Amino acid sequence: MRETLPEVPTLGTLYASAAPRVLRKVTSVAPDALPDTEAYVEAVRCSREQLTAYQRLVGDTVREELPSVLLHGLGFPVALWLMSRKDFPLPLLGLVHLRNEVRQPRVVRPDETLAVSARAVGLTAHHAGTAVTIETRLFSEGELVWEGRSLYLAKGVRLEGVEAPPAPERAAFVPPSTTARWRLDGSTGRRFAAVLGDYNPIHLSALSAKVLGLKAPIAHGMYLAGRALAQCAPHGTGYAWSVDFATPVFLPGTVEVNRTSQPGGVVRFSGWNAKASKPHFAGEVTPL
Amino acid sequence: MASSPSPRRAVIIGGNRIPFARANGAYVGASNQDMMTAALDGLVARFGLQGERLGAVAAGAVLKHSRDFNLTRESVLGTALDPATPAYDVQMACATGLEAIGSLADKIKLGQIDSAIGGGVDTISDAPIALSDGARAGMLALGRARTLKDRLGAVASLRPRDLAPAAPGTNEPRTGLSMGEHQALTTQRWGITREAQDELAAASHQHLAAAYERGFFDDLVTPYRGLTRDNNLRADSTVEKLAKLKPAFGKNLGEQATMTAGNSTPLTDGASAVLLGSEEFAAQHSLPVLADFVDYELAAVDFVSGEEGLLMAPAYAVPRLLARNGLSLQDFDFYEIHEAFAGTVLSTLKAWEDPEFCSERLGLDAPLGSIDRSKLNVAGSSLAAGHPFAATGGRIVATLAKLLHEKGSGRGLISVCAAGGQGIVAILEAR
Amino acid sequence: MADQYLNFATSGLGRSLVKQLGLPAPVTLRRYREGAPLVPGAILVVGSSPLAAELGELLLGWGQEVRTHDAGDAALGAIVAVLDDLESPSGLSAPALTISPALRKLAPGGRVITIARPASNDDAPAVAAARQGVTGLLRSLAHELRDGATGNGIELAEGIGLDAPSAQGALRFLLSGRSAYVDGQFIRVEGTGGALPSNPDRPLAGKVAVVTGAARGIGAAIAKVLHRDGATVVAVDVPAAGDALAKVANEVGGTTLQLDVTAPDAGSKIIEHAQRRHGRLDIVIHNAGITRDKLLVNMDAAKWDSVMAVNLESQLRMNQAFLDAGLPGLRLVSLASTSGIAGNRGQTNYGASKAGVIGMVGASARAFGALGGGINAVAPGFIETEMTAKIPFGTRAAGRLILPSLQQGGLPLDVAEAISFLASDAAGGINGRTLRVCGQSLIGA
Repeated sequence: MRETLPEVPTLGTLYASAAPRVLRKVTSVAPDALPDTEAYVEAVRCSREQLTAYQRLVGDTVREELPSVLLHGLGFPVALWLMSRKDFPLPLLGLVHLRNEVRQPRVVRPDETLAVSARAVGLTAHHAGTAVTIETRLFSEGELVWEGRSLYLAKGVRLEGVEAPPAPERAAFVPPSTTARWRLDGSTGRRFAAVLGDYNPIHLSALSAKVLGLKAPIAHGMYLAGRALAQCAPHGTGYAWSVDFATPVFLPGTVEVNRTSQPGGVVRFSGWNAKASKPHFAGEVTPL
Repeated sequence: MASSPSPRRAVIIGGNRIPFARANGAYVGASNQDMMTAALDGLVARFGLQGERLGAVAAGAVLKHSRDFNLTRESVLGTALDPATPAYDVQMACATGLEAIGSLADKIKLGQIDSAIGGGVDTISDAPIALSDGARAGMLALGRARTLKDRLGAVASLRPRDLAPAAPGTNEPRTGLSMGEHQALTTQRWGITREAQDELAAASHQHLAAAYERGFFDDLVTPYRGLTRDNNLRADSTVEKLAKLKPAFGKNLGEQATMTAGNSTPLTDGASAVLLGSEEFAAQHSLPVLADFVDYELAAVDFVSGEEGLLMAPAYAVPRLLARNGLSLQDFDFYEIHEAFAGTVLSTLKAWEDPEFCSERLGLDAPLGSIDRSKLNVAGSSLAAGHPFAATGGRIVATLAKLLHEKGSGRGLISVCAAGGQGIVAILEAR
Repeated sequence: MADQYLNFATSGLGRSLVKQLGLPAPVTLRRYREGAPLVPGAILVVGSSPLAAELGELLLGWGQEVRTHDAGDAALGAIVAVLDDLESPSGLSAPALTISPALRKLAPGGRVITIARPASNDDAPAVAAARQGVTGLLRSLAHELRDGATGNGIELAEGIGLDAPSAQGALRFLLSGRSAYVDGQFIRVEGTGGALPSNPDRPLAGKVAVVTGAARGIGAAIAKVLHRDGATVVAVDVPAAGDALAKVANEVGGTTLQLDVTAPDAGSKIIEHAQRRHGRLDIVIHNAGITRDKLLVNMDAAKWDSVMAVNLESQLRMNQAFLDAGLPGLRLVSLASTSGIAGNRGQTNYGASKAGVIGMVGASARAFGALGGGINAVAPGFIETEMTAKIPFGTRAAGRLILPSLQQGGLPLDVAEAISFLASDAAGGINGRTLRVCGQSLIGA
């Protein structure tokens, strides 16, 4: 069932509307609990100011292409609208971002008007809870130009009637060689929020993060992906990419980064914490 | 690639530099323009070029103030050269000096000009401090504002944190790693030992000190601001003393960290200049001819992807230059390999000896092979003299040209690595 | 370096104070300026010998206003007494009493010059007495002159006439502002060699001159004056002084040679540089010098040996290289010092080296003369330089204000002027001599 929104909702309002349910205790969820709602926005555009600000933020070149992570950011409020509704069975403000998979068949220009469609497409059992997949798609005059699946984990929530898989055996993390180093200051989360509007309090300040039980604010997963793609993504062509998030990057902090080229133009990237020897994220980009 | 014989030669007549000074020391307060002018003045004096209209002067600086948009031209205007001497800035990171000299040599060979000065300058002590991006955006908006409301808006947009200035770093913009951190990866990749690096560093100091002692630099260096020698030089440097230093780069390699402040170049201030000309120019002006500037080659490597080490580009440039000139790596009497880090020199030499690298990366049937180490940096190099980025090319060209002229025959190979994964190499021949 | 006392004493208020207090009253000396008259007025020629008549003709030929016997109403720029015909001491009376009233008409910066034969032990006693008497007359008169006027003499060796280029060269030098700080001195002309310049303002045109110690002080002034007089200058100094040296070379359009003159191959390096870069070597000015003052009771080997090595031994070694190279017509001028003539407390090493220069110059004259050149020395008195600025104030003030007849220290320029003259072809008949540039300091002979 499609629900057409008059405009892209603002994330702050959505987080605020979800706040009262922060204390709602969810322990289990039925496999068919996801509402069959497609959130839809007819016309979304990215301003040149926002594009430039984003490109500056992640260290990309200012050019006439909408970076894939920015396109994610354009559609994200629509997805969040779904997730902040009362009928969404998982608590929004506790979701852990696990993974993104994106396929963008062609370059999207900043003057294109995009339609956004978002749906929650499935619940899966996870060793630590239940994961939900949100599918977002962007169309330009009916042509699919971007589609992405984001996987979020609701910790401690049992998927009713499904045996949770055992926690995978993890080999000890062996850091690859450093090919780059990101020094992220304490304002990294606020600066990303200022560009893409994602004012989730866990990213903003030491105080707001503490309120939500974190020892320090953490970097947006999409900020980390955006910086990685700024270095690794091809230009002038479509591409697919994915990223898995392991441990959060606390701010301020330093991320060791490796980038390795694979046959076929595939580039793998990963980030980790050198001191703790813990992986933060890993992903890859494939030109289409 | 077959090269047609060049219509005429470009010769190196001589050089001049001011002593190189460790940053924030002897040259505090001296700007790039001040130091470049001093280097040019000494050269003009040495060769009696007062009032001379040269074909071109090309130089540059790596760290440059926006006010120095015409650094070389402004420097020329401060010298005794004919003010009708044109000048332009070159910027290729640490390759700046040699690229300036090489491109001027090309102009001379082509007959476009008869005479030229190439060089470079850098100061860490007077480096530009920029406004933060936020402050800059606000200031620029303020400048564009036409109404009071716009102006107030622009001012209001400034945040206190914007007012913190942004100092220039030597970090690679695309990787966030300093040059030393990059080299630490390469040094480890090639298994270069701490001892080997310290040996190279000690040799550099000993060679430079010996060259000063025998008066080698009497006609290559003009004192400046009370300094008569490079003040990074430690004539009493030994492997034992260097072995006591703690690692400075690649600390996350733990036990395997080998790079110290002793086997890495310090941040340095200085300037250099080299006089080039056609043979006719030299003859007409009764000027000496030290060497021919034979040829040069640029290269760059993909370090951003981690495919290759940041400072390894010269390893790729040299085989191309050798092939074009029908020479082998062993056909040289002197090797001047810029010591950005001891590890850079040793990694490069090891790469040329490595069959796999030479085959897979350089596409060669056989390795380039090893060099006679007694011919390497015989008058010292950057580990001892210091490395004011853009000034190093001029220091090396003048030093090698004089070494070749003293020997009276033979040829020398120059190799200079540069930020951005770039490199520049050149061949000089004795006259 | 500005002499503050001189500035003060020549200012309106200062001049009256100086007069009332009986302090020395120095004036700004008349120094050479291109285009300025040779002398500031008419020239009175005293004497009745044929040479006197010849001199009148010569000066007329130089475009000067010439008077004989009586100055009349004219302000005098110079008085030239021709005394070559003295037979006995009584012959001095007439010229002295002719000069006497003319002195009142001598303009500031004027000149009194005697032209005579030098006394010799081969002369008849009466002749020698008269000739030697000239020196006492002139030197005493020089002390009496005021307002920057000077008294000097030319000694023409037997058989040398006014047609000798160096007789005319010396005369022009002494008349002109180039000799501003030369006072009470005699220039002896012994040869007919040399040549007069076609342009008296460019006496060194076409010459290549090497100046050692050229980075600063007197050396820098020498480089500038030689350049002004037409020479191409090779500026030599130790590598450590290279930056100041470059400035000098760039100012005079010359080349630098960073070189320690005590190096064994300094001479050959100088020859090679001059010949390869400028095609020739005509003039060498041995100016490089150091002081390491200590009372002898406190002297050490380092202080003694370094002064001798730089100031004297290096010159001997380089001169040998120049002689070995057989450079035709090479003219050399060495820097001696009044300390080498009169001695100076605390300067046994320096005094020895500078006296040594005087000896060396005399003994080298024949060898360089045989090649068509010559070697002479200039002995500066108190010259305002960085080096003399190190002398304690009391000694310095006395040195420059009280002792010399000219009541002031000289400038590096004044030394350079004398050197330029001695380096020129016009001084070709002057060889092995030492000329003092001391403002007639009381110290020394």
